[in-house]
Amino acid sequence: MRNPLRKRLLRDLAGDAGKYIVIFVLMVLSIGLISGFLVAANSMIYAYDEGFEKYNVEDGHFITAKKMNTAQALAVEDLGVRVGEEFYIEVETDESNTLRIYPVRESVNLLCLMDGRLPENGSEIVIDRMHADNNKLKIGDTITSGSRSWTVTGFVAFPDYSCLFSNNSDSMFDAIRFGVGAVTEEGFSALDQDERAFCYTWQYLESPESDEEADRMSKDFLPALMEEVSVREYLPRYQNKAITFTRDDFGNDRTMMMVLLYIIIVIMAFVMTVIVTSTITKEAKVIGTLRASGYTKGELLLHYVSMPMIITVISAVIGNIMGYTFFKDFAASMYYNSYSLPTFVTLWNARAFILTTVVPLVIMAVITVTILARKLQISPLRFLRGETSRRKNRRTLRLSRKIPFFSRFRMRVILQNLGNYAVILVGFFFADFLLAFGMLLPVILNSFQEKILDEMIAKYQYILTVPMEMTESEHKLEGLISGVMFMRGVETDNPDAEEFSVYSLRTTDASYITEDIMLYGVKDDSRYFRADIGKEDVFISSAYAEKFRIGPGDTVTLKEAYEDETYTFEVTGIYDYSGGLAVFMDQATLNRIMDMDADFFCGYFSDTPITDIDGKYIGTVLDQEALTKISRQLDHSFGDMMFIFEIFAVIIFFVLTYLMSKVILEKNAHSISMTKIMGYRNGELSRLYILPTTIMVLLINLICLPLVDAALARVWRYYICQRMTGWMPYIRDIPSYIKMYLLAIVTYMVITGIQYLRIRRIPMDQALKNVE
Amino acid sequence: MSLLEAKGIKKIYKTRNGGVPVEALKHVDLTVEKGEFVAIMGESGSGKTTLLNILAALDRPTEGTVVLDGMDLGAVKNAAVARFRRDNLGYVFQEFNLLDTFSLGDNICLPLVLAGKKPKEMKKRLDALAQPLGIADLLKKYPFEVSGGQKQRAAVARALITQPRIILADEPTGALDSRSSDELLALFGQVNRAGQTILMVTHSTRAASRASRVLFLRDGTVIHQIRRDGRTDQEMYQRISDALTLLANGGDRK
Repeated sequence: MRNPLRKRLLRDLAGDAGKYIVIFVLMVLSIGLISGFLVAANSMIYAYDEGFEKYNVEDGHFITAKKMNTAQALAVEDLGVRVGEEFYIEVETDESNTLRIYPVRESVNLLCLMDGRLPENGSEIVIDRMHADNNKLKIGDTITSGSRSWTVTGFVAFPDYSCLFSNNSDSMFDAIRFGVGAVTEEGFSALDQDERAFCYTWQYLESPESDEEADRMSKDFLPALMEEVSVREYLPRYQNKAITFTRDDFGNDRTMMMVLLYIIIVIMAFVMTVIVTSTITKEAKVIGTLRASGYTKGELLLHYVSMPMIITVISAVIGNIMGYTFFKDFAASMYYNSYSLPTFVTLWNARAFILTTVVPLVIMAVITVTILARKLQISPLRFLRGETSRRKNRRTLRLSRKIPFFSRFRMRVILQNLGNYAVILVGFFFADFLLAFGMLLPVILNSFQEKILDEMIAKYQYILTVPMEMTESEHKLEGLISGVMFMRGVETDNPDAEEFSVYSLRTTDASYITEDIMLYGVKDDSRYFRADIGKEDVFISSAYAEKFRIGPGDTVTLKEAYEDETYTFEVTGIYDYSGGLAVFMDQATLNRIMDMDADFFCGYFSDTPITDIDGKYIGTVLDQEALTKISRQLDHSFGDMMFIFEIFAVIIFFVLTYLMSKVILEKNAHSISMTKIMGYRNGELSRLYILPTTIMVLLINLICLPLVDAALARVWRYYICQRMTGWMPYIRDIPSYIKMYLLAIVTYMVITGIQYLRIRRIPMDQALKNVE
Repeated sequence: MSLLEAKGIKKIYKTRNGGVPVEALKHVDLTVEKGEFVAIMGESGSGKTTLLNILAALDRPTEGTVVLDGMDLGAVKNAAVARFRRDNLGYVFQEFNLLDTFSLGDNICLPLVLAGKKPKEMKKRLDALAQPLGIADLLKKYPFEVSGGQKQRAAVARALITQPRIILADEPTGALDSRSSDELLALFGQVNRAGQTILMVTHSTRAASRASRVLFLRDGTVIHQIRRDGRTDQEMYQRISDALTLLANGGDRK
């Protein structure tokens, strides 16, 4: 004879199929989704890491002012590196996207061809797969830039652009407006050669083992390199966001996903506990008998816990299978939406398996065991009498007789089910949280975008690239010459242009991630800067103030990016500017602090485009497009994720209200049957038994929203402070909250319909049959 | 030495809010010898069930000691009580307390399942019991498919399957019709003759007449006892009836 308990489990499963299926589906979906994400992320990270070798990725690159001559190239190679040419030319396409075009690489940073073929003649091009996706380009389409045009023959992933940062100082990448492509040598030489950026990659003969070593090697390499050539940009790989950002971001996503999964499991564990508790109540007398025959709490506990555990195990197994198949592809497509990654092979991921199987099982076990063990704590004698409430003398709360009978009745139903409502409260809180996140993000992004545009100092901020020699005291003559060249090159006749100086320093506050702070020196009679700034005034941007919680009177300490020198400022005011973390002061003051001439400047504010300065001196243009890049990209990357959050939120609403109202009705089936016998009609019964839950659901949801708002504000701040550079304030958007409330109500209405049918089905003889 | 020995048992129930304490048992001395079939009789509220619960270690006496087979129940730690019950006690209740979703066979084996016994061992023990108890054909049936008497026999089988030292029965015939009651009592007689010690609480004279000794409980004390001493069931019945009449009329024989 087989163990009869197994049969019992099956029968229980069949008997409560409705409830268990709902829980099962939710758990499979969440485990599947998370497992899919982890597997995809892990496989992609593996492919990404492997790509360094496979595609022979650079250890860094530098851009020189002029093409290096052979002697220089040899001299640089003597510094212990292999140098490769990787010139590029940026063109603006007719869709006003910037396309950075390289010749097809042959030795370093090799392309991963994802679809189509490589270009074969001068009028063909391969472009980055993600940029193509974002701009809905297909193979065979034509890209035009003025008089030139190319046919797209394939999509590729550039290993040095897994994330499409056009400029390493950008706080967010822009895969929509910025793209990279490759053409044949012939195609490249047909482009305007004056526009070439003389970019050289380097690879150490002995590869560094760690980021620390890479840091040391690159710091040794830079001064030696500068002895040989004039360097305009120097970017070792470990600092190159276009390469490193992707990997960092995978990690962040993982944390978010895991939190999502575990909260769902916790809620489901509570729901399971409620279901099993009602079974225990039903079987109280048998439990009493068994306990009286000498069976321990532990043995009974094991039995009652096995159902939740079995369901979790099955969910985990099926969830993982789905994770490796369906959800993995889904997750991969989401990552491909944000990152330009090479193709990957799915890898078995032991860590993902533990995180999505073992950990949920442990959570389920801890919660069910803790609660059910308390429940089974009741003495065998009381079980035998069918008393399953833990309180010994259950005194009924006295309700005033002045309250109408029906209200009192409903209050009794509510009081009797407080535990279930508590589970609903926890679940709703979480569901509302997800929903709020999903609904508020677009609102936050939009409002941020508007705010930035409102507060722009000028429509255009040109930040000029000052030749390195100008700031180097060792090359006096060269510095002087290039200084003169620079001054001449950046002269403008645009009457809107106003000079300013700018300097970049880094934050030193260890409790936040390190940020680049822009120090602006503005003219005292500035047309663009909207505040009066005195000689000794130090204003910080509102974004800086909000993020670091700094106000007037506080001091800030900043340091040079690659050196130890620090600067301390006392803040005297806050300037409304959300476009970035910045410090504003008088131009002369800033120049003095930074050891520059009093009339030095390196940027222009202007409300009209400046067209008459030498393009090679323009480092960055901060216009509307550049400043809103971050919100555009976040919207694009998280768009799908927000949708998932909303779906999960609705499913949780549905599952919770369904299961809990079902349990409440089952608990009361006997009394409902009895009241039916007394002649109550179905409508009246639902007013007695469904209305209380309705009231509670409405109330709970109302309580949840402000809690969610408070929690979200904190999480938002934490996320932005710990994970992101820049600042985007959280917005309490009331219309979104109203929408959320309505959504929850609509979901509940559907459930109520089902419950009404259920009440109708409870037969009258139930009360007569079960006398015990 | 007696299998079960209770001395000076006193039980006072206190209500939580300082109500009047209820003295359920005043002073009870009781011994049960191995192989005995003892019935405890008394009217509602006489303390029968309280006494049984204390003997079963389901409840603790306010005063007094219970010694089962040399073990002092008062000295057994709370954590070990379950183990003690499992190894020594079998239970039969007025309500059968069978699981609806289990066949009778499964219900009977339930204690063994919880004890982690092998299916083979379970089957062996079940088969050994089913035949004499007359439920061999019913093992595959569900509680709702059989009569009350059959359910109670299954409940007895469930109590016996762990081979307890003593069976404690609380009004086992309370929910049965007379025929089923007779069958059950015959069964009790049968297992008793096979060496099983039984302690039964009842207020049915008919049930008590099968016992080898009958104790009468009133207001928390044992006021009378009758030994079989070779009497037939019929004679026992007569004596118990007489005793009850006498007690009801205010007699206080000891």
